[in-house]
Amino acid sequence: MKTTYHTIKQILWVSIACMLNACDSFVDVDLPKSQLTNVTVFEDYATANAALIDIYANIRDKGMLTGAGLGISNQLGNYADEIISTQNPNNPSLNFYNNSLLPSNTSVSGYWNISYNQIYAANAVIEGVAASKDLSAEQRKQLTGEALFIRALLHFYLVNIFGDVPYITQTDYKKNSIVSRTPTLEVYQNTIADLQNAIAVLPDATATSDMERVRPNKATAQALLARVYLYNKSYPEAANMASAVLNQESLFGLEQNVAKVFLIGSKETIWQLQSGNAGVNTAEASFFTFTSGPPPLVSLSDNLVNSFGSNDLRKANWIKTISKGTSIWYHAYKYKENKSTSVSKEYSIVFRLAEQYLIRAEARAQQGDFIGAKEDLNKIRQRGRLSDTSALSQQEILDAILQERRWELFSERGQRFFDLKRAGKLDSTLTGLKLGWNTTDSLFPIPESELSANPNLRPQNLGY
Amino acid sequence: MNNFSFYKGGKTLYCLFFFGCFLSFTPVLSSNSFQQQSNFQQNKIQGIITDGANVLPGVTIAIKSKANSSAISDYNGQYSITANSSDTLIVSFIGYKTTLIPIKGRKTVDIQLQYDTTNLQEVRVNAGYYSVKSSERTGSIARITSKDIETQPVSNVLATMQGRMAGVNVIQSTGVPGGGFEIKIRGQNSIRSDGNAPLYIIDGVPYASDPIGSSRTATTFPTPTSPLNSINPDMIESIEILKDADATAIYGSRGANGVVLITTKKGKAGKTTFNITASTAVGTVTRFLKLMDTQQYLAMRKKAFVNDGLTEYGPLDYDINGTWDQNRNTDWQKELLGGTAEITNIQGTVSGGSESTQFLVSGSYYTESTVFPGDFLYKKGGTQLSLNHRSEDKKFRLTFSAGYTSQNNNQPSFDFSYDARSLPPNAPALYDASGNLNWENSTWENPLRNLNTIFVAKTNDLIANTVLSYEVLPGLLLKSSLGFTDLSTNETRIVPSTTANPALGADSSTSALFLNNTDRSSWIIEPQINWRRELGTGKLELLLGATFQNQITDRLQQSGTGFSSNSLIYNLAAAKTARVLLNEEIQYKYQAFFGRLNYNWQQRYIVNLTARRDGSSRFGPGNQFANFGAVGVAWLFSNENFLKHRSWLSFGKLRGSYGTTGNDQIGDYQFLNTYTTGVIYNGIVGLRPSRLYNSNFGWETNKKLEVALELGFLQDRIFTTAALYQNRSSNQLVGVPLPGTTGFTLLQSNLDATVENAGIEFTLRTTNFSSDTFNWTTNFNLTFARNKLISFPGLESSPYSQQYRIGQPLNIELLYKFKGVNPQTGIYEFEDTNKDGRISFPEDQQTLVDLNPQYYGGIQNQLSYKRLTLDFLFQFVKQKNRNYPMGPAGMMTNQQERMVNSWQQPGDTAPYQIYTTGYNNDALIGDSLYAESDAAISDASFIRLKNIALTYDVPLSLKQTQFKIMLQGQNLLTFTSYKDGDPEFTSYGFLPPLKVISAGVQLTF
Repeated sequence: MKTTYHTIKQILWVSIACMLNACDSFVDVDLPKSQLTNVTVFEDYATANAALIDIYANIRDKGMLTGAGLGISNQLGNYADEIISTQNPNNPSLNFYNNSLLPSNTSVSGYWNISYNQIYAANAVIEGVAASKDLSAEQRKQLTGEALFIRALLHFYLVNIFGDVPYITQTDYKKNSIVSRTPTLEVYQNTIADLQNAIAVLPDATATSDMERVRPNKATAQALLARVYLYNKSYPEAANMASAVLNQESLFGLEQNVAKVFLIGSKETIWQLQSGNAGVNTAEASFFTFTSGPPPLVSLSDNLVNSFGSNDLRKANWIKTISKGTSIWYHAYKYKENKSTSVSKEYSIVFRLAEQYLIRAEARAQQGDFIGAKEDLNKIRQRGRLSDTSALSQQEILDAILQERRWELFSERGQRFFDLKRAGKLDSTLTGLKLGWNTTDSLFPIPESELSANPNLRPQNLGY
Repeated sequence: MNNFSFYKGGKTLYCLFFFGCFLSFTPVLSSNSFQQQSNFQQNKIQGIITDGANVLPGVTIAIKSKANSSAISDYNGQYSITANSSDTLIVSFIGYKTTLIPIKGRKTVDIQLQYDTTNLQEVRVNAGYYSVKSSERTGSIARITSKDIETQPVSNVLATMQGRMAGVNVIQSTGVPGGGFEIKIRGQNSIRSDGNAPLYIIDGVPYASDPIGSSRTATTFPTPTSPLNSINPDMIESIEILKDADATAIYGSRGANGVVLITTKKGKAGKTTFNITASTAVGTVTRFLKLMDTQQYLAMRKKAFVNDGLTEYGPLDYDINGTWDQNRNTDWQKELLGGTAEITNIQGTVSGGSESTQFLVSGSYYTESTVFPGDFLYKKGGTQLSLNHRSEDKKFRLTFSAGYTSQNNNQPSFDFSYDARSLPPNAPALYDASGNLNWENSTWENPLRNLNTIFVAKTNDLIANTVLSYEVLPGLLLKSSLGFTDLSTNETRIVPSTTANPALGADSSTSALFLNNTDRSSWIIEPQINWRRELGTGKLELLLGATFQNQITDRLQQSGTGFSSNSLIYNLAAAKTARVLLNEEIQYKYQAFFGRLNYNWQQRYIVNLTARRDGSSRFGPGNQFANFGAVGVAWLFSNENFLKHRSWLSFGKLRGSYGTTGNDQIGDYQFLNTYTTGVIYNGIVGLRPSRLYNSNFGWETNKKLEVALELGFLQDRIFTTAALYQNRSSNQLVGVPLPGTTGFTLLQSNLDATVENAGIEFTLRTTNFSSDTFNWTTNFNLTFARNKLISFPGLESSPYSQQYRIGQPLNIELLYKFKGVNPQTGIYEFEDTNKDGRISFPEDQQTLVDLNPQYYGGIQNQLSYKRLTLDFLFQFVKQKNRNYPMGPAGMMTNQQERMVNSWQQPGDTAPYQIYTTGYNNDALIGDSLYAESDAAISDASFIRLKNIALTYDVPLSLKQTQFKIMLQGQNLLTFTSYKDGDPEFTSYGFLPPLKVISAGVQLTF
């Protein structure tokens, strides 16, 4: 009996000893199978590249630059004079169309938060690549160059939509959570510096690599830099940079058939966003297209459609008319495939050569080179089968370019709104045409959540 | 790349192996153990136990001062026990007075027990790892039993608790079957709104309440599907809620928000009993909003155009420009939510057994249709098995219970409530003359298009538990609980092209399918040692134990778009584009050591010490372990000599407790800096940063203090408790909102803030009348609770500066102060508190409104006259709630009827501002500020007849057969001044709770 008692005692003691000592590591878990640590990601080019490429997918699907209805192609079209919305209160474009944005608007906070999330991802790539010892010099250059380009691209749109915005260049949340707004001028300087650094390391566009032009390269960064210089009124630099792109004639050229400008193989494309799965086409086409009237959500404004010359090929090819009885509606028809096709036919184009001609035309006109300006402008007009411009004075030429940009670039990521804004013509164009328009609407409100989370971003933009 | 090491894995295996051996030793020991020898002459004592009329099976007969000898009466009420002729028998049975009977040399002792209507103090209350006699407990434990649950025609376990327990606040978040409930036990402790769930334990097995659904599939519900619907209320014997430190500290890091212990039904020794219950019920929406009719609506619209200076109606203003019939009038709430849900419930149980082995097997089937249009059905079937066995020598015991539930929920994937309230009353007919969906020439979005988008959830859930125990020595018990849970849910949502206006030209190539599969399985092993002995003139109880728990959740979310035909839409393989949206395996490991020391001195002074050391995989290295503990004391002053013979005071106890608990509801892997799978681009699947990372966060600590007084008067015919508590949560684990400029909007970290929940809970139970034919008892509970943010260093400069105020509750709203409508402009005006000449955010948005209930409770009456029983419960809550937000009046959406009192012309003093069609920017801003002002909050206190049940026990000549007819109702009457729908409801745009009337029969034989 004594032995039994002894055995039990032993078991109890051993069990208690085990409880207290042996099992401390029980609560360690393996890494989740669906995740990689940030260090591991940059040990290998394939995963580092995946981290970068995800930003393009993110830009394609979400935030300001998506071609879907929540992106600026539609919303800034509504905000300016390109697109009209039905008065359905469920229509997320309605507040844009009525120019009645509030600081609590979730589309507006989405633009802000998603853009900075994309910028974070770009900064994480830049930092991850810098810390990695396993990537080749060429791989480092390419990854860093593309990430710098993304960072510049997003800040450029942010500054034009919100005014002074923080320029974020690192991932440390402790610093990023207390940032102040960077003055517009400085945002431009930083954008230009990032793009110059990107141009220095990015590979040239070539005829053989990246046939579909879905990855930014040196030419893409140059195209953006040309636009940034133009907005910044650095006209000689803008003209030079546009020339740097335009001179790569073996790679890029104006697609003379208006109907083929937005197809995947268009020679005019500088950079476009690949659609993901095979056979998928653009979000623009599926959002803008409707097959019978009245339109469910948005349609092109009469004001825009009627401004086209009747024999402008762009009107015939890039705008679709839907009629019912005596009512007529229009939708943007640059992208024609609103459903999947067996092989994708169209991707969402972010930069194309026509804009570079118009940038150079404007930069030249601003510098007094009227002949050069008209030469570039007429290239675009000729493609639309329009006669050469009759503008003579600088103002006439600039007005003609602004008008041409409206026809050429409508429904493409808010170009029209930005053009009116930098030309100082928002009020004169939109007052009266848009009942809700106020001068202070030239800037969006800073999201309310952002002002309360970081008081350093105050004050709110005027008018909100 | 995976962090596996043999050392670590080996150690885990070693632990498991050890406990396997530990358990397998117990039967071996049984053959060697001691035989209790007595020095006295032993006699066999026999007898029959009755209540005067019927024999009583299952009664416990014990011998005073001999802990190890007891017997249970068989199904004929007979017992036999070996005892000394000078011993005294202790005869006890739940619901009867415990009786002491000296043997005095007799061989046959027949016993008649007295029915005890009020002496619930003898009931043993489940406290999780141990049970305690209600009179001797030191902690705060609220309890409801199957008696309360059976009278309620509800399918969710949380619904059964509404209004019945002090300190427990339950809110239903949707009236759609299969939806969720929100429960708060003694208020909100964590600043993180999803970190306030209690710990659920079913028959000893922790049951993860984290959502299993996905917001991509379960769009019918305001929150992703909760697994708690798998628990079948019919199967529950009792629910205990542990509230204070004394009761919860033994659950350590998971006890901060209280513990819900669910005990399922068990078989009882005696004749095999069959029980069949069947009921059928109808459910309708409790309250609708009062909306405008066509005449009022069109008048509003016309005036809005006039106000905006528009002389012509736009081509898209179909409601008013003549496109739609101006005389049509549809009550869309009636049309879309006015249906009747039909509910049927069938349940059968067989139970019985011998003295050593008892069993219970039951099955149930429940269906509920919908108040929405269309044919949708929620089905739930379940089975429960329970088996108890003890060895001949009563040393070895085995308890096994297993429950399996299967749910199939078929719902429209879109709640029609929003449409029902916003559609213009003159919107077109739902169907055209030929019975097809009417799109009225594309002038509207027919709400019934959403009948085509279907949500189906299939959930199977198994919970099994085995408890093995062996009494090694008298007073020393080795015990191990082994639990297993396995849940799998499969949710699908389809969005076929037929949900879109045909004018959009969509065909099946735009149809979409969303799939969500969640599998969650867990095991738990809890070896324990119980030791008890008499020490001095008191009793000492010691419990030591350990927990090892492992839970794995697999989630797979997929989508498919583009089908060659809509009839293939459920086949992901037929999708043109199939995507895996999420594929993850989450492992949660948890380990703890716990102990309890209880000393009971002469049933007068009781001290209860509990402690737990916890480790959780949710925290990073170095932060995984923490200690928790509590002290509970009780003084049963009614057992003191100076009070013992006072006839008016039958029970008196003062108890108190203090201790710490924790909270680890932060999600898994949050301490890692990782990339997770992103989206495909150019043939490559992206990698995306998962989060901003912070590896240093640790436990949230919750310190609880409670003092309570329990008093029973006149043989406990009046029994009352009053508890005062104060809980303080610090080291708050929160996703701190960050500015978007950081790239994310949240960061997990410990915040040095303290939240206090304090309150008074009061319960009163009275037996108002008690006789052979008529009985009347009343239960009343009342809770005053106050939630308060005590400290928050740096609140001013923190992201919470616009959300919280020190000294105020967490659930507050900071609002603009509404001044009224400007009689000249007709626009809402607000207090310019900082006097800068305009309404500015955040300076002027500082008026504070507390949305926590000030007090709440319930009053339940149970009356029985002969064979008729009436049970009813009134629930009451004093609170404020937001008004139902409808947007600016004058646009193409319906409004509440009260908006007819809007401002019309200069000089008007009106409660509501000018109508606008959407062009009046000032009015739009005014409306948006109004929604953020104190005018958008109104009193939503209510008294509700939560439950009423009438039961008639039909007299039958057959012996031992019982036939009952039952009429039950839920949410039948609501008294409130709140005008915007159901007052308890906060999920705007979703279906409010239903009013249910049920009729059923119960047959027992």
